Amino acid sequence: MAARNAIQREDRRFGWMLMTPGLGLLAVVIGFPILWALYTSLFDYTLIMPGYENFVGAGNYVRAFGDGEFIHAAKVTLFFVLAVVLIEFAIGFLVALMLNDTERGKNIYYLILLCPLLMNPVVVGLIWRMFLHPTLGIVNYLLSLVHLGPVNWLGDAGIAFWTVVMVDIWHQVSFMIVLLLAGLSALPKEPYEAARVDGASALQSFWHITLPLMRPVIVVTLLIRVIFAIKTYDIIYIMTRGGPGIATDLVSYFIYRRAFVSLDLGEACAMAGILLIVVIAITAYLHRSMRAL
Amino acid sequence: MASIELRSVSKIYDSGAPAVRNINLDIADGEFMIFLGPSGCGKSTTLRMIAGLETISSGDLLIDGVRVNDVDPARRDIAIVFQNYALYPHMSVRQNMAFGLKLRALPAREIDRRIGEIAEMLDVAHLLDRRPSQLSGGQRQRVALGRALVREPRAFLLDEPLSNLDAKLRAVMRTELIKLHRRLRTTMIHVTHDQVEAMTMGQRICIMREGEIVQVGAPLDVYRDPADTFVASFLATPPMNLLTARLDATPDGLRLRAPGFEIAVPEPFGSAYASHAGRDVILGLRPEDLHEQAAAAGPLAQPISVAIETVEALGPETILTTKTSGGGDLSARVSERSEARIGQARTLYFDTRHLHLFDAQTTKLLPRIHIH
Repeated sequence: MAARNAIQREDRRFGWMLMTPGLGLLAVVIGFPILWALYTSLFDYTLIMPGYENFVGAGNYVRAFGDGEFIHAAKVTLFFVLAVVLIEFAIGFLVALMLNDTERGKNIYYLILLCPLLMNPVVVGLIWRMFLHPTLGIVNYLLSLVHLGPVNWLGDAGIAFWTVVMVDIWHQVSFMIVLLLAGLSALPKEPYEAARVDGASALQSFWHITLPLMRPVIVVTLLIRVIFAIKTYDIIYIMTRGGPGIATDLVSYFIYRRAFVSLDLGEACAMAGILLIVVIAITAYLHRSMRAL
Repeated sequence: MASIELRSVSKIYDSGAPAVRNINLDIADGEFMIFLGPSGCGKSTTLRMIAGLETISSGDLLIDGVRVNDVDPARRDIAIVFQNYALYPHMSVRQNMAFGLKLRALPAREIDRRIGEIAEMLDVAHLLDRRPSQLSGGQRQRVALGRALVREPRAFLLDEPLSNLDAKLRAVMRTELIKLHRRLRTTMIHVTHDQVEAMTMGQRICIMREGEIVQVGAPLDVYRDPADTFVASFLATPPMNLLTARLDATPDGLRLRAPGFEIAVPEPFGSAYASHAGRDVILGLRPEDLHEQAAAAGPLAQPISVAIETVEALGPETILTTKTSGGGDLSARVSERSEARIGQARTLYFDTRHLHLFDAQTTKLLPRIHIH
């Protein structure tokens, strides 16, 4: 869009002037590290022998796709994201619908629901690690009262994944509730009255009016949660360190280990680059959906 | 087609505020009824209770003689057109109109037939595939009406459907609705705060104030004999002039002493008003009954001296606001040929056959016979 007259040119110049500090800061703290990481990913760069002597081109990327552990971590992450987002959405929508019809004590419910969201993920991980301790945890104690368990929540390879999923849901479900509730309360009331008079049952109103009208909000909420779930790291670091074995080895934790445990920074950067592309693709889609709101 | 009866219907909100109090009203099958009143008078609440969108706190609502207080709106077979149209924003015009029919599981062929017919009638056939957001206000209004019409319901409830339209379109839709009612002969209840709509559209007007019915009657009857000063000042613009006056018995009959003028009460009214002699009353004079020539006023014309305060030339007529020497405000609706100028002293003539008197305490009309 070309500036058409002196006033518009002046406005543009002023706009750039206002944006410069922010853009500069972003370039330094985000743009520069990303570019350097991408540059590093093109070299055989290890923390044992740091240096940019061995240019390998796409070699690190090829090795990443051939790396069984990376593929495994990607699969675990995909499962984790699907499980977390879908279950959170189901619970979140249900609770949001119920809260939307609640008149008394709405703020109290809201406050209670927001509490987990306000907690630091590290704290969440620590609390739940204690709750779920096989012998000292309160969860197994409560189960024993009804003659169940004990369950090795974080030590059993078959259970640990779902334990982490459950803790993440506990932590993040409020995010869904808050966003969906905001969407629901912004819906116009009149079409529902029209539908009631038109002869629609509550279920039909939900199906034919609520869902279609909520579609943009639902898409955006899901996408935001997907992006956040892909980069889940803290809970894994605190609760399982990817274990037992590699049962909960999410890709961001895997990349961290490749960089700072295996010290293979070049390959870790390549994997981070791949993750970045996936997240950018989702973000681009999110951006388009939000514009349609 | 349905008759609608309200028996001692009241609505009290959870907050304890009564919105509608003890409404008794019979609406005949096929009648065009108007609910008229200022905003907050309970007319929309009453309509919504008939539709089933508001619960009835006490009393009975009968449709075709059957009590329907606890019947779901979906099963009352009544259609409502909302003030803001309440179209389904994500559906096309066709889907909007088809929605209620699909829920009733009508065959697709029948749905298409009805939509085609009604769309043709309302001149929205070319808009069937558009979304409500792509329509103008008038088109949305017609679609909302169409959505009600395709259902072929027992009664139509119209909740100020014309209030969001511009003046010209409102006049057109007013005529359309009158024609529509004449054609369908379905019971219609139209809520409005616009007294022109009220006077022109309905067969009867139900005037409400503060949750209660003040008067029910044919538009001209209500205009001629307003039940109280509220109705008198609500109907018609400019509204009826109301002045406090004293009714005195003299040897020549009853005389009204108003601020700045005196008029004789015609002989035939004497018996009706005699019991109020010696008391204060509220004198009501319609602006259209005040004339600049005695001959135009009528055989019982009496002069009132006034000072002209403003002159509003509207084209077909001129509105004068004036003051009597006693400080009483009088507005007069006179011919466009009026030569009144601001500041002039003039004489207006009033034919006492058109006199209205209201009780000063209760503000109710003092009943009297009509003289033709």
